[in-house]
Amino acid sequence: MYSRHSWFGLLWRHLLIWLGIAYALFPAIWVLSASFNPTNTLVGQKLIPARLTLEHYRTLFSDPTAPFPTWLANTVKVAGVTAVITVLLCALGAYAFSRFRFRGRRSGLLMLLLVQMFPQMLAMVAIYLLLLELGKYFPWLGLNTHLGLIFVYLGGAMGFNTWFMKGYFDTIPRSLEESAMVDGATPFQAFWRIILPLARPILAVILIIQFITSYGEYILASILLKGVDRYTLAVGLRFFIQEAYNRRWGTFAAASIMGAIVIVLIFLPLQRLIISGLTRGAVKE
Amino acid sequence: MIWTALLSTGLKIVLLGILDAISVWAAVSLGTSGSYSFLAGLVIGVIIINYLALSTKAYPFRYLFPGLVFLGAMVVYPIGYTVYISLTNLQTGNFLTKAQVIAQLDGRYYLPPDYESFRFWAYRNDQGALRVILIAGDGRAFISEGDRLKSVDLDEPQFERSPGGIVERFDGYRRISGPELYQNLSLLERLNLQYGDYTVRLANLNEFRSYRKQYQYFPGEDKLVDIQTGKVYYSKEGYFTAEDGTRIEPGFRVNIGLRNFISVLTSPTIRKDFTRVFTWTILWSLFTVLFSFAVGLGFAMLLNDPYIRARFLYRSLLIIPYTMPAFISALVWAGMFNTDLGVINRILGNLFGLKINWLNDPFWAKVTLIFINVWLTYPYMMIVSLGALQSIPVELFEAARVDGARGWQQFWKITMPLLLVSVAPLLIGSFAFTFNNFTIIWLVTAGRPAVLGAATPAGATDILISWTYRLAFEGAQGNQLGLASAVSIIIFIIIAAISAVNFRFTKALEEVSQGV
Amino acid sequence: MRKFFVVLLGLVLLAGVFAVPQQVKLVIWADDTRAPVVREVGADFQAKTGIAVEVVEIAFADLRGQFITAAPTGQGPDILIGAHDWTGELAANGLLEPFDPTLGGKAGDFNPVGLEGFSYGGNLYGMPYGTENIALLYNKDLVPTPPKTWCELLEIARALTDPAAGRYGYIVQNPDPYHWFPMLSAAGGYIFGKNPDGSLNYCDIGLANEGAIYGATVFDKMIEEGLLPAGVNWDTMTGLWTSGNAGMVISGPWLLGMTRTAGINYGVAPIPDMCCCICACVYDLPCPPIPPIPQIPPIPPIWPPKPFAGVQGFMVSAFSANKTLAFDFLLNYVATKDTMLALYRRDPRPPAYLPALNDPEVQGNPNIAAFGEQAQLAIPMPNIPQMGSVWSAWSDAQDLIANQQAEPAVALQEAVAKIKEALGCPLP
Repeated sequence: MYSRHSWFGLLWRHLLIWLGIAYALFPAIWVLSASFNPTNTLVGQKLIPARLTLEHYRTLFSDPTAPFPTWLANTVKVAGVTAVITVLLCALGAYAFSRFRFRGRRSGLLMLLLVQMFPQMLAMVAIYLLLLELGKYFPWLGLNTHLGLIFVYLGGAMGFNTWFMKGYFDTIPRSLEESAMVDGATPFQAFWRIILPLARPILAVILIIQFITSYGEYILASILLKGVDRYTLAVGLRFFIQEAYNRRWGTFAAASIMGAIVIVLIFLPLQRLIISGLTRGAVKE
Repeated sequence: MIWTALLSTGLKIVLLGILDAISVWAAVSLGTSGSYSFLAGLVIGVIIINYLALSTKAYPFRYLFPGLVFLGAMVVYPIGYTVYISLTNLQTGNFLTKAQVIAQLDGRYYLPPDYESFRFWAYRNDQGALRVILIAGDGRAFISEGDRLKSVDLDEPQFERSPGGIVERFDGYRRISGPELYQNLSLLERLNLQYGDYTVRLANLNEFRSYRKQYQYFPGEDKLVDIQTGKVYYSKEGYFTAEDGTRIEPGFRVNIGLRNFISVLTSPTIRKDFTRVFTWTILWSLFTVLFSFAVGLGFAMLLNDPYIRARFLYRSLLIIPYTMPAFISALVWAGMFNTDLGVINRILGNLFGLKINWLNDPFWAKVTLIFINVWLTYPYMMIVSLGALQSIPVELFEAARVDGARGWQQFWKITMPLLLVSVAPLLIGSFAFTFNNFTIIWLVTAGRPAVLGAATPAGATDILISWTYRLAFEGAQGNQLGLASAVSIIIFIIIAAISAVNFRFTKALEEVSQGV
Repeated sequence: MRKFFVVLLGLVLLAGVFAVPQQVKLVIWADDTRAPVVREVGADFQAKTGIAVEVVEIAFADLRGQFITAAPTGQGPDILIGAHDWTGELAANGLLEPFDPTLGGKAGDFNPVGLEGFSYGGNLYGMPYGTENIALLYNKDLVPTPPKTWCELLEIARALTDPAAGRYGYIVQNPDPYHWFPMLSAAGGYIFGKNPDGSLNYCDIGLANEGAIYGATVFDKMIEEGLLPAGVNWDTMTGLWTSGNAGMVISGPWLLGMTRTAGINYGVAPIPDMCCCICACVYDLPCPPIPPIPQIPPIPPIWPPKPFAGVQGFMVSAFSANKTLAFDFLLNYVATKDTMLALYRRDPRPPAYLPALNDPEVQGNPNIAAFGEQAQLAIPMPNIPQMGSVWSAWSDAQDLIANQQAEPAVALQEAVAKIKEALGCPLP
């Protein structure tokens, strides 16, 4: 796929990438600027504010009414558990769709795609009522529980991810499992021991995508979680800008930056998993 | 081999047995506590599990079942709920259920001009029953008995009185005060003590007052009678309505069949704006997906290249738009695109003397929106493409190279078709998501600029879903959730039809992968 | 896999403990500004009564929606802190419990505008604690003396505005009818007329009468002249103002905190009067007629702008199981000078509770006095649910005018027609 580039080939590639990075970072730098600006404005007139302050970052770690570290921990917990379970559930489903031929397979795939497209304008009310009922019998799964929130996220994550993974499984040659099954492995063992390790890149991709999606989800979390100590980051953040005319953009920006850093840190090791797929053989240096 | 098979079958049966036993116990306790919906869910769930575990024909569904449970609860159930709401008149003013409204009206009392107020002492016996003794302004004493109020002479011997004259005990009842009284206030406020035509109720911490009941509900005829005036109200279209058309607030939700759908589909004003909004919605989704995929895939290809140094750093920098809350970045972009004050026009003005009316001109507002949304979406496409690229066997490229295919040819003949096998459904999904992406539109332009002559509140950048929002929540007297649900179902039908057409291509893609 | 199911289901069932009866407690939903004060009062209440008060912090923007979802299920709060313009929707939905109209004998201690704000359908649904309205804020370094008339404002704006340097003499958020209303109301524009019984008549809409069109035309001409940038939202407005690049803004007390942090040398003054004869010289506009029954008789040809009055207060849920406790808490623990002053200190806006408003601590605050002067003219923002359609069509009209796509009269008349159609009013 790739071969060694001439110096010119390298040059334009790096230039293109740096152009992209400029595009990616341009607004982010304004957010960074807002996080150091004591006036709490979002769109400053100058990139470098007249006075710089670390006040907003200090607030994040010292304001007991807005326990940012707790929010961060809650979010990593919720998003992490959701992401891991999603990957497992999707892999199971995708394996069935990819390897078995059964009645209702095509229509099942179509349905999986379609149900995700429903405009979820009223979903939050429905989900609220569902968790309310559940909570009457299983308090640890009801409103205002992280487990309840995780369940909700799991439901929303299935469709497209299963599809995506199924497509990837389709490209893994069947001969590998078939030889394993000749040796006496059950289909589940073949799935667990052979398909999953080969599909590592896609597992990592779905892990990170699902992690980020749950990490930033606001609407459902805000309606299900009550009480500052239970909040996830997205819900907690809104606290700083809740009043139409008294928005603490500086603190919000600082928290956004911290949140983004956490994701980038998590993404760093996962990158290696994503790249560790079948193409590894391609690298001949 | 045989032994392990036997063992696994045996284990299966034992586990199923345990599961079924627990389920029966749970079913009984759910049944006795009267929660039949959960009982039904449990029974269906257990039957499915048994079937899946025992039937070999259902083998593939064993893999699907766990995911489907969550999908059913969190996605399919809300869809069902939306369908249900779309058949009702749920809106501001018709919000509660009829039972809730009847309970509220039936419990409505008013204070007549000749009302009397009473001091009170509250009492409790060992069984937890509550009674009160009321003292009128002129010293007459009353005692509660069930839901009646009776005159009483406190000098009778069963009343043990303190030196101050307060009755402390009687008939096993003991006076409560202080915190204990506070703990029982919510029970006291539920007392409706009948005394002649009056209902004596707790007015505040210190007194009971003689109220009169305002309405009486007659379930048989489904009517509400104003006791004071004798006016009769019948339940009609979600309100208790009198002959002369006066209504009692609050109203309640009622089933109105397909009326929401009919009013949307036949409204001349909605039809007038539909084509314009629909066209823009399609363009918005299409361009967002196309451009963000192009940008994302481009970066993925560059960053999958082992000869590019520092690609780990690059990748981390390039996903930054994805890691920031869209809430803040969309608003920052909107600020930067401000015509008079934004940094973008300032740069363009300094370099080229340009001043573009970014967010106030219908065309440029659309361009800006797509530009911002591409920024928000491309990292997702990049990660996805990065993963999908790993599925392409290297041997294919080597074979292609032998055949003389290079560069772009390789890309279109090998990379793209194989990539699309796994990515195409995500593109369809992304299309649908963008189609319904209310947040970005709302944050950046809120549907503006406004359009002169629009029949409904439909701005130049309103997409179907934001238009629905404005129709349902700003278009009339408060929120019309029933109508909003009906419109979201119609939107769903549209997007589902588009996707189902696209879906046919995935069959072709499946065959591509079979050939590998 | 099967094992997983069995374990899961077993856990689900075993943990299905049925709820245990709980101690009585009062639950209050408040945003983070009010929560600490209410929490302190709650501690006092608990010490005296033994009833715990649980204050749940919810973002102000989410409070109303979450209350609507939660209240009918019994999961809502007993007490809710919110704005008066929620009253109509919440009461029409049957979610609010009316107050005793005498407020336990304390009604006379409250600002009547505040009580009117929380009244709907003849009932009082809230206990007000603070009022708010907009006025003119000016940067003393750029504008030494505030303008008295709109004409002076235009002159100052012409002298100061320099778009190339990013400096403006006068800015205001737009499209944002809330901040636009003073211009329209000055010469006689209004939202809803009144029925003989004093309730609002939502089919009598005064947003396209001659007075409103006059104000809108002045706005239009200012944009055309380049004196007023179009598309200024809160964030761009504060950006200009706090960087010292705006001479005057129309805004509320909520801008003051940020203004002080930015070190702006500011003053607060009433919004300048519209004065038709002088402005007519400036923009050549014909003078609008004197409104037939003006709420505050103007001395022609001077038209004082009338901003909206907003009220914040406490409401009680119709689904509360502890209404007596809730009312007791509000009337005897919150409606006290100490609590009202504590709320004022936390968020300085004029208290609606008169003993607190008249306290030297509040009276000594020059900003409160200045905003209070403007408040004399303020009109309570309508609290009926029909306002939803007004905001939408009205801001579209302002947007069309600001973008120079429609003449003020055309845009406003179209807006009124749209509102009337949405509300099912007879069209002419």
